[in-house]
Amino acid sequence: MKKKIIAVVLASALCASLTACQSGSQPAADSAPVKEEPASEALADSEPAAETAEEGQDAEAELSAKSIVVPEGTELNITTTFAGEESNVQLYQDKVQAWMDKTGCVVNDSSATADETMKARVIADFETGAEPDVLFYFNGNDSDPFVEAGKVVSIEEIRSVYPDYADNMKESMLEATASPADGVPYSVPFYGYWEGMFVNKEVCEAAGVEIPGADTSWEEFLEICQTIKDAGYTPIAVSLAKEPHYWFEFAIYNHTSPSTHTAVPASLDDATGQAWIAGLTDIKDLYEKGFLSENTNTAEASEVFQSFIDGKSAFYVDGSWKCGGIADSTDQIENFTVTYVPGANDRKSTDIIGGLSSGWYISRKAWEDEAKRAAAVSFITDITTDESVSEFAGVAATALINGATVDESALNQVQIESLEMTGNATAVAGAAQDLLTQDQRAPIFDHMAEIVTGQIAIEDAVQQVIDNMAE
Amino acid sequence: MNSQPNIYKNKKPVFFFLAPAMLFLAVYLFYPFFQNLLNSFQAIKSLGTSAKGWNDPLYKNYAEMFQDKYMITALKNTLIMIAVTLIFQVGIALILALMTDNIRHGAKFFRIVYFFPIVVSATALGLMFNLIFLYDKGMINQLLESLGKAGLTDWKDEAHAIVTMMIPVTWQYVGFYFIILITGLNNISDELYESAAIDGATGWQRVRYISLPLLHNVICTVSVLAVTGALKVFDLPWVMFPKGMPLGKTWLTGTYMYYYCFDAADVDYSSAISVLIVVLGVVLSKVVNRIFREKDI
Amino acid sequence: MRRKKEKLTAGMFLIYAALILWSLTTIYPLIWILQNSFKDRKQILSNSFSLPLGDMFTLANYEKALNKFNILTAYRNSLAVSCSVCIAVIILAGLAAYALVRYRFPGCGLIQSLVVGAMMFPAFSTIIPVFRMEHAWGLAGTNEVPTALLACILPQIAGNLAFAIVVLSGYMKGLPVELEESAYMEGARAGQIFFRIIMPLTKPSFATVGIFSFLWSYNDLFTQSFFLRLPKQRSITFLLNEISGKQGTDYGLMAAAVSLIVIPLLLVYVCLQKYIIRGMTAGAIKG
Repeated sequence: MKKKIIAVVLASALCASLTACQSGSQPAADSAPVKEEPASEALADSEPAAETAEEGQDAEAELSAKSIVVPEGTELNITTTFAGEESNVQLYQDKVQAWMDKTGCVVNDSSATADETMKARVIADFETGAEPDVLFYFNGNDSDPFVEAGKVVSIEEIRSVYPDYADNMKESMLEATASPADGVPYSVPFYGYWEGMFVNKEVCEAAGVEIPGADTSWEEFLEICQTIKDAGYTPIAVSLAKEPHYWFEFAIYNHTSPSTHTAVPASLDDATGQAWIAGLTDIKDLYEKGFLSENTNTAEASEVFQSFIDGKSAFYVDGSWKCGGIADSTDQIENFTVTYVPGANDRKSTDIIGGLSSGWYISRKAWEDEAKRAAAVSFITDITTDESVSEFAGVAATALINGATVDESALNQVQIESLEMTGNATAVAGAAQDLLTQDQRAPIFDHMAEIVTGQIAIEDAVQQVIDNMAE
Repeated sequence: MNSQPNIYKNKKPVFFFLAPAMLFLAVYLFYPFFQNLLNSFQAIKSLGTSAKGWNDPLYKNYAEMFQDKYMITALKNTLIMIAVTLIFQVGIALILALMTDNIRHGAKFFRIVYFFPIVVSATALGLMFNLIFLYDKGMINQLLESLGKAGLTDWKDEAHAIVTMMIPVTWQYVGFYFIILITGLNNISDELYESAAIDGATGWQRVRYISLPLLHNVICTVSVLAVTGALKVFDLPWVMFPKGMPLGKTWLTGTYMYYYCFDAADVDYSSAISVLIVVLGVVLSKVVNRIFREKDI
Repeated sequence: MRRKKEKLTAGMFLIYAALILWSLTTIYPLIWILQNSFKDRKQILSNSFSLPLGDMFTLANYEKALNKFNILTAYRNSLAVSCSVCIAVIILAGLAAYALVRYRFPGCGLIQSLVVGAMMFPAFSTIIPVFRMEHAWGLAGTNEVPTALLACILPQIAGNLAFAIVVLSGYMKGLPVELEESAYMEGARAGQIFFRIIMPLTKPSFATVGIFSFLWSYNDLFTQSFFLRLPKQRSITFLLNEISGKQGTDYGLMAAAVSLIVIPLLLVYVCLQKYIIRGMTAGAIKG
């Protein structure tokens, strides 16, 4: 039941951000960061005003810095997912260093790449009392074990001592990223993601089709795919064996709407259940029409992605992080762009998927130690300032009240084009699959190949997921 | 087998010989595995979380296991894997070891290079084999194409998957058994060979009547290792054929256990599978020992 | 050097041909990894089987791997852990195997079964209780380097013991018991017999077991990522896996990382191989 409530909250929060965007009263949007130019223009127009504003900010910063007195030499244990090839590792390490220099504290950083081993380690740490003081971690189901055990401190409780904590974040987004276990916000949201359809422009040109856009309908998209296929290319590069996630999400989105999408079925017959069946049927249809990679049931995700890069496939649906992945894999970034996944029924093509999946936690253990409490609050406050969040987020979504600022000169072609896509988005919905744990959704996600080849009936797979949730 | 010579009648030293090793095993393996056994009767989601209570009925996981069609596939594949391991891995390793033992030049070289596949991590080997068997532009498909074959073969489809999976695993561990066998051959005293040579024995006769009988115990050990290894192997198959791909055809007991521990977050079921693997491993190694002992007599 | 009929017969030719053929299959992968470590990631999926010549050649992967972290500390940690594991396993397993092979005592069969069973325990089914225990003892989860290394070494010793006992028993069973008996007649005690007779006679077997213990400890990413978590505690395998391990990313960097991981392993192996062979010739002269 809780999950459903969260789903509604998340959907409405994201919709609220959308109305703000449309009315133009606020330049910020959760999904669409503001470009820098208007801001600097405003600054030039009214310089004195800007200065006072800056002074005001400085004063405020001083005040909040004063209210957090961090004893020098305090040791702070931090675990994050900023490790390995994560694109923000360097930035994160710089921020840690800056904070250590400023406060004279010591950070023991045990960050690791967010894989299954890391997740097991974090959970085991909380179980044994070896948990870190500050944790940057997923806010979905993965956080349930330590939230249910009361091992992290809620934002409300932190605010009872530090009233300004996370006050630059939208309340609605704090609600939206609350724990699925009890509906209470624990983590300070950082930055998120959107999902879209990456396009190999060369392939579209060679096949003589227009790149799908805001107005392209699902039927038109199917025709485009047919034309591409007839021209000898693979329309959609996807590995149903390894990464059916993105197509699952959008296929179902096409049978729901932004306000109803982020939900899970309670039975096969309810609206969501019907939508899931219809969505999976669409994927099966794509497979049967031969629009997916020929070896989609056996391929690695990296393999089909390479075929997309090599100009053998036209479309590849993935998340915002893939902007960087494309830039790393090709010398001709100008051959690529990103667009909306064509919509159907109640979903406009410009309704996209996005969300904030990780946030900053303070553990109960640190909270009960005066020095560590102050240090943890000080660290998180420093790393979640508007400026810092903007640096980390790039083109991704944030929960900032003032919106993130984007430095376009640091972006690649695809990223710049993605700003246009997210900027013109009409609605954002959270991913429905995030409401399920990995084991609950396994009957669909780990058996997609059997579903599209008809070895497992779609209804059975969905029913299994429903049964798993009931367990 | 041992006739209990006098020196080993005094049993007191046994304790001092065994105690340190057994203490380590007890603290770091048996006690944790006992917990694992308990886990298999409880409801546990992801690794590291505490149990949500006992299963109802207690033996739920074990009952489920034998109705789970993927588990059946996994057991079948593992049986094939055991056969392949015994025949090909141990077979090839034995032939290579005997050959290396009988040459004059380069024995050292072969000992070093045959070791290579074991030192490289499964992730890297998996990637390499993925590229060799790659659908488009893979090494084999390119080769076949240049030989005039039309169309690409998907080496990971249902028809080829099992073979595509077993070849790399077999290849990787030949070196492992090779090293163990060649060490055994090194332990055989040269005098035996010399006296055989004086008696005019041919190379084959030396192998048949000296090397093989004296290697008997080591071959038995290697067979036990092969059987138990096949039961628990998961890394290379998992990198190449994750989640039983394609269509749940390539599950092995090792990969299936790993999947439930991490991907499907059902630790209690995974624990139950690991208990089954251990039981099978102990039983099968007893069988192997029995077979070798009978041959001995 | 010994026992070989030095005729180059057709049989010998076939033997060499077969050995060389197999060695090609084992050498090529290393060359493949090495050649790809000199390529940009863009080249690897489409061009992995060609040599990195001309434009394709780059040292960027190594620069990236070497510059990013303190690689020497990581090598030091890895060697400290794996050497300790290797030595402890050799001694403990040697003693245990000797007892199991030579003595008949009640419970002997049971212990043998337990050892075989222990060989089958997957690391991920035992790690959580081990972590809990070591945390309670103040070993795991601390910020100190030595305790973290020790916390990692102890479970790894246990993890390699069972295998080592099984293999060493196999070798020791083949030893003629007469030597031990004559030593016993001369008044040697069980402990002396083990260190003066058994160990020297099975030196190559100990070296082999040592190699595998070292190898598995060194490559055991799973245990390492639980116990060696702070930057100063990290092992080389863990460190390089962190920079290259993320799925579907930088294969060039991964190839460079694998090369850097493998080099010390091969050095250890070649050294121990020499030791095996020297032990052999020494024995042969004595005999």
